[in-house]
Order: sequence, then structure tokens, then C-alpha cells
Amino acid sequence: MRLVADSARVIDAATGAVLTGADLSPADLYDAVPPGAVFARTGQTVAAVRRYLGAFAAGRPVALLDPALAPETLAELVRRFEPAVVTGIGEGGAGADPGELPKGYVTGDVLGEAWIRENAPEHQPHPDLGVLLATSGSTGDPKLVRLSRQAIVHNAGAIAEVLGITDGEVAPTSLPLFYSFGMSVLNSHLAAGATVLVIEGGVLAREFWAAFDQYEATSLAGVPYSYEMLSKIRWTPAKHPSLRTLTQAGGKLRDELIEKFSGLSERFYVMWGQTEAGPRMTTLPADKLAAKLGSVGLPLPGGAVSIEDGEVVYRGPNVMMGYAETAADLARGDDEGGVLRTGDIGHVDEDGFLWLKGRTKRFGKIFGVRVNLADIEALVTGAGEGPVAAVSGSECVVVHIEGVDAGRAKEIQSLLAERLKLHRTGFDVRPIDRLPLLSNGKINYRELS
Amino acid sequence: MSLNDRLKNVFVEALELGEDVDVENLKYRDIEAWDSLGHMTLVAAIEDEFDVQFETEQVIDMSSFKVAVDMLEKLGANA
Repeated sequence: MRLVADSARVIDAATGAVLTGADLSPADLYDAVPPGAVFARTGQTVAAVRRYLGAFAAGRPVALLDPALAPETLAELVRRFEPAVVTGIGEGGAGADPGELPKGYVTGDVLGEAWIRENAPEHQPHPDLGVLLATSGSTGDPKLVRLSRQAIVHNAGAIAEVLGITDGEVAPTSLPLFYSFGMSVLNSHLAAGATVLVIEGGVLAREFWAAFDQYEATSLAGVPYSYEMLSKIRWTPAKHPSLRTLTQAGGKLRDELIEKFSGLSERFYVMWGQTEAGPRMTTLPADKLAAKLGSVGLPLPGGAVSIEDGEVVYRGPNVMMGYAETAADLARGDDEGGVLRTGDIGHVDEDGFLWLKGRTKRFGKIFGVRVNLADIEALVTGAGEGPVAAVSGSECVVVHIEGVDAGRAKEIQSLLAERLKLHRTGFDVRPIDRLPLLSNGKINYRELS
Repeated sequence: MSLNDRLKNVFVEALELGEDVDVENLKYRDIEAWDSLGHMTLVAAIEDEFDVQFETEQVIDMSSFKVAVDMLEKLGANA
């Protein structure tokens, strides 16, 4: 399965070097590394791109990691997932610190310093596994999303198709490559045989725009924050005549700014995705933007969107295989069957366009303090009780727990008060015989509230 | 107070710099605090302090403390 088309090129803005073919995807890069996954500290460098593409070409799963991860977080990831090699030890800008060489690893070289595992890990990753991405950026949650090689290749091709990416396009790396949106810009351009211009620094750096103009970049990808910043500094595409396409994903950009930037550019695409879908799920065609302002558009080719109990459910070949929290999880096959419950609330209009209305993520309020109901449930389960369902009451949270008596309910109430640093009267803990369930086996929260 | 010193104060406050930071030799993205978010805060703080408004190119060109000094001098900002 190929990700990179023959005519694909990567240009190093710092040196002017142009890479193609086996130079760009060096499959022999890991020949001296024991079998297993590659954990890649991934900055905005051509070496990082080659380490990623080399791993993909060699059939090794590769985790793209933020080089700014705290050393203890990286150490925890290595302990949990037992990668065959940690690459890019020297990657990252200010404040990046890889930490100490972990036990069981020796220092080696994979286009720069790497930590190579002395012995092959006990658990070998599943052969379908292609890419691992963190769900929560750099916050240190050790949970990774498992994306199959097929999901990565399919999503790259589908994005290239709907955005009309031709081999003449030149995309700069305006977003981190370890971030699913940044990765998808890279993948979709390589799949289309286009050019990716690797620039460090981001849209506020002088070097970025100097290289952008020098290499006549044709598109710019941004998250809402990017466009907020560009708007604040009164940036306009008019100063960069090669720029034709703007893309936006990663959250809701204000309609006002969508209108402003779409008015200033030839094409403006609003897109929606999640890391769990590798990441792209929908795109709003540029020529439908005015008529459907505020919508996130239509499902990608091969994908489908439906609304189930108000929640947006996506089906497609790009849905993840599942999450991974341990090395053993990397050996797992597909756990999800191509179905992703997105946690977003929305509706589909008569033309098939998806409109998002917010998250299903549930919050309650205790004396004005916002609390995450899922966190409260996790505390109860952590105390050895449950099943549990926490719902919002009036200025309190009602916690329904199966199989507890009144005395134990009081203890749980004290525990929650202590752990969340809120007064105990903010928690109404009620024993319940059986939690009401929906047909899909999930808790029926509506009936409880 | 000289322009240099005033600008130094703005940098220290906007980027919440510690005493050990060599402000006069600071460059964009040299330290974690001067990232894109820090840059936006810093630019707004400089505009407030010196009563100027920067053009897009100037915001993007302001890649070091020294460049910021030059820019302010050219704009005729008063010390």
C-alpha cells in the first residue's frame, strides 16, 4: 500500500534541498533496529518527514509525537508501549527535552540521535497498524489512536480528491506534523504527487512567509486560532500571489472570519475531523460555502454520516482500529469495525450537509464550579463501585450507583467532596438497582435527568 | 527611561520573563514563552506602550528584541 506518489516532492525551506522517491521514503532506515514500532519525536524538519515515511515504507507502525512532550511523559510512553526505537531525540525547539536514555535502550542513529531497543519487544504490533497519534496533544494522556495503513492511505487520497489537490500544488507545513491535521496535509499532498514545503516557525515567523513566496506555495492550512491571529495582524492572501487555497479544520471558526477569508481567497474549505478518523470526515466544498455557511459539509468519498440519538456517527475506511494504552494493544486488530461515535451533536440537512451543535461531553455545575461528569464517574469506579451514572441536578450533581447501600453512598459522597475540593452537599449520591440503558447498551442519561 | 529599557519592561511583562533571561539578545521562538501566542501578546503590549500600530509585515518581521528596537526607532516612538 503506497502513500507517496512517484512525483511527490518535499522541499527543505532551510536548505533548498529537494527530496523524492527512496530518498524521501527510505525503507532501509530501520534495518539495524529490532522489529517493532517507531516512536518519532516529530518537529517541522525534513529529517522527521523522512523518518516517518521511511517507517511507513518499511511497514513499521510509527507514532508521531510532540517533541515538546515532558520527559516524564515520553518515558511513560516508552515504558508502556515498548517501541523498537525512539527517533528524533534532537527534534524540537525551545524547551524541548527528551529526558534520559530509557532502560533497555542504547543510543544509535536514525537520521540523528535515536534510542534503539536492545531486544525485540515481547508484543509485536499488528501488521495492519500504520500510524499512532496522541488524542490530547501534549497533555500527557498516554492513550494513542491506532490508525491502519489503509486508513491513512485512504484518507490521504480522499482529501486530495475533494480538495482537488493536483501535482502542481505546493503546501507549506503550517501546522505541527504530529498533529493529525498537520499530518493529513502532508499525506494528502504526497498521495496526490504534489510538493510539501517543510518550514519551521509557523505563520507568524518571517522565515515562513519568505519561503512561502520563494517556493510559490499554493495553499495554507490553519486551525481557528491561526485565522484569528492572521485576522488580528490584518494579514491578507493578496500579498502572496501564489496562494490560492485556504483550508480550516480543528474546531469551529467564527462565521464572520470564514466569510472574511473566503472573500479574500480563491477557495476556502471548512473541514471537520477527529484524530480517531485519521483525521478527515467531512469537507464543505468551496463553492457551497456561501450557501451553507456554518456547516462542516459532506462526508468524504467512501464515508457516511448519520445521527444516532443526536450524536454524529461516522462510518468509513478511515476510522481507527481502536485505542492503545499498552504494548499489548498494539498487537490488536480492528476493534471498531469502521464506526466512530464522534461525541459531537449535530444534524444532517436535506442536501446531506452536516451541521454541528456542540459536544455530548457532559458537564455539571456545583456551586457555580463546572465539573466533568465523566471524571466523577471515573472517581466512583476508581473506588471500586459501579456501574455509575452522574447527571446534572440543580446546583449539584446526582450520582446514581448500582449495588451500594446508604452507608457506602455517604462514603462515596465524602470521597467526591474531598477529591474535587467541593462541599459534600454538592453531591447527591443515590443507590439504584439498575441503571436504565439504551438499545445500544449505553446508559440512558436522558431518563436519569 | 530609554526606549531600550521601556521595551525591555514590556518584554518582561508580556512574556512573563524571569530575571535570568537575556532580554536584549532574545529571538522569536528562542524560549517557550515567546511562541505564537506570546508574540501576539507582546505585539499588543508594545503597541499599547508606544502608542503605535504595526503593519502585518512588521508583526511578522519582529523576530528579535533588537529588530523591535530598530522598528520603534524608525517609527519615531518616543523614549
